[in-house]
Amino acid sequence: MNSMPSPSNPSRYEGCTLTGALAVVTQVRDAACIIHGPAGCTHHNFSLLHATLLGNDTAAIPRLISTRLGENEIIFGGEDALERCIARVHEAPPAPAAIFVLSTCIVETIGDDTAAVCARGWETPVIPIRTSGFLGGVFQTGFVGALLAAGTLAEQGSGQREGVTLIGEKNLEYDVDENYAEVVRLLAYLDLAVNLRFVRDTDTAALSRLGTGAFNILREPALREVGEALHRRHGTPFIDSFPVGLAGTLRFLREAGKLTGRDTRDAVREEEAYQEEMLAAFADLAGARVRFDRLSPLLEEDAAAGEVVAELAAALDLRVAQDGIPLPPPYPAPVGTAGVRRLLHRWRRAIRTNGRRSF
Amino acid sequence: MPDPPHQDCTNPLWPCAMTGAVACLAGFDDLAVIVHGSSGCYFYPASLLTAPLHGTFLVENEIIFGTEERLREVIDTVAGTREHVAVVTTCVPAILGEDLAGVAHDRDLLLVDAPGFLGDLEAGYHAALEAIRPAVDPNRPGVNIDGICLLDPFCRGNIQEAQRLLTAAGGAVGTTFCSGPLGAAGRAAPFTVGTNPDLASGVGEWCGSLLGLDAVAETFERLAATCDGIDPSPVAHEIAEAEKRIEKACDKYLRRFEPPRVAVFGECAYAAYAAETLERYLDAEIACICSRNRPASPRRRIEQTTDFSRISELITAGEPDLIIGSSYEQTVRPEAAFVPLTPPVRGRVLLHARPLAGIEGTLRLLDDVLNACMDLRQSSGSQRPE
Repeated sequence: MNSMPSPSNPSRYEGCTLTGALAVVTQVRDAACIIHGPAGCTHHNFSLLHATLLGNDTAAIPRLISTRLGENEIIFGGEDALERCIARVHEAPPAPAAIFVLSTCIVETIGDDTAAVCARGWETPVIPIRTSGFLGGVFQTGFVGALLAAGTLAEQGSGQREGVTLIGEKNLEYDVDENYAEVVRLLAYLDLAVNLRFVRDTDTAALSRLGTGAFNILREPALREVGEALHRRHGTPFIDSFPVGLAGTLRFLREAGKLTGRDTRDAVREEEAYQEEMLAAFADLAGARVRFDRLSPLLEEDAAAGEVVAELAAALDLRVAQDGIPLPPPYPAPVGTAGVRRLLHRWRRAIRTNGRRSF
Repeated sequence: MPDPPHQDCTNPLWPCAMTGAVACLAGFDDLAVIVHGSSGCYFYPASLLTAPLHGTFLVENEIIFGTEERLREVIDTVAGTREHVAVVTTCVPAILGEDLAGVAHDRDLLLVDAPGFLGDLEAGYHAALEAIRPAVDPNRPGVNIDGICLLDPFCRGNIQEAQRLLTAAGGAVGTTFCSGPLGAAGRAAPFTVGTNPDLASGVGEWCGSLLGLDAVAETFERLAATCDGIDPSPVAHEIAEAEKRIEKACDKYLRRFEPPRVAVFGECAYAAYAAETLERYLDAEIACICSRNRPASPRRRIEQTTDFSRISELITAGEPDLIIGSSYEQTVRPEAAFVPLTPPVRGRVLLHARPLAGIEGTLRLLDDVLNACMDLRQSSGSQRPE
């Protein structure tokens, strides 16, 4: 429960830039992340990441180091504490391949120059990311900023272009690896492999492959800024979203074919047949009266998810009505045909448990 | 050996003062709690506490032009939902120098300045307690219960167990810090017992802790000597019966198995109690005892640290076959038996009220320890319990 849900200013509810950035850079396994601020900011995020990693059956624990500012540093400045911390991280094993330094809202407010401390000629790359909490952005701002910052570890693109680079997977989502598997399955129709997951479960050396893919696939259109930056730097074209919904999946195959000069007609036909077979397994839902409530007043409506709802309601002959059985709206939109199938299982469960009499 | 002050810390494992203050205040069921800060600060306590919370969800403009109007707007919205309203300031609003007392004009509003940089959970909890201005009513009968915190997985169980014991001894329950109506904090009974001395309220005459059977016995003896109407004999009788059952179960375990080698992590009082209980009844070998918070006075054998890398070192070096702590420690040595003592406790369903304090608390702790150790032996296949 919270107060004042105000759709007129949704940025109030969109979280912390620091969390967004950490969702990216903690996936560079051989890097260390320094969070310049009070210990509580680091703890909050470590707690979230730890819970997410356990939920995704991942044992790897990210290394987050807090400069642990107290009242004294808030009054007199925390740059010395940051400098000491960077030096200690260099010295303490295991030696990191790179150090990301993330600021917080309180150090932004007191005016610490984090970037200047990072620029003091360290042995290891020390990369500042301006993540001043809610000052200057939201979760997504931090996420984008971290992708751009991690991209500076890649060399300018050269050599033969092979495979596909995935940009900005949502590392905090529960089905992140299932979504990845679906993209891999679809790319296999076109004999394309994944060159790099930028950034998921990788290391600093692997980031050098960032500019070597045949094309990039952004996780969602909100990452266009990153796609365009990588296009300028490495000349890599991009598709602006993972495949979403049924028609979106077929469109994705056609776009991938277009970017690589492949004939996609067989792939699309095969996938269409697969989708029809999948939908047939849910034919028992035809005629069910349903409704899709907004997930939360704090979340902005997802236009792509809305299109998928309309597409599926038509394909399955669902009757959308105010007094229908409430179904969970997709958030985010389901990836590929497999994502749609998992969504439909959840819908059928909800229809069976909540509304037998509606049949 | 506490963490050196103002030294960096890897993966700190304990929440900040703001979270502690919110956890304290949200325990009062007629108090609406507003986190005055950004959504990022709000989401953490909101995700941990099973209580409704409100937030001002500040944006950058409000930091530049002032947060008072936004705070007033949110107070107006929540004022009708509960009898009282509390506002907890987070880091940035705390240093803006705004006179938020002006917002409180003509309102029953509690302002708690508990920015994260103030310190740890306990610092915030105590700052909130101080802001409540608890007071003793010398004529009020009963005994207060303190040490209750919504973040504690034993919160509900400890309240129920303390109430049960006081009732069994013929006493009445005074104010519970922090649970129930806020107004009760201003008319507390003259005597207090604690379920977690790290969160002691300092209200009334301290009559002792309920952590451990000896402590329960001593506390009720002290209550009987100072407080009218308390008869310690039913509690003493129950302790004797409980101890017999514990000794029988532990003796049976030790006939077949080696005592566990234990690493204990938690708030200072909880960790010390768990270690002492296992030494006493299971002849356990203590690999290490680590406190999340700074003990009120240095305690032998207890290291204070919230640094996950240090904790990982201790677990690796100590090679415990039983870990008592949180899910963080459990992930370091998943092959060890595990018993939860401190949050977070992940991957387990915890629906029913579990006490750590009182007689049932000790029985539950030993249940969990013996079952976890026997499960470990069974899964290893080398030895099986009778």
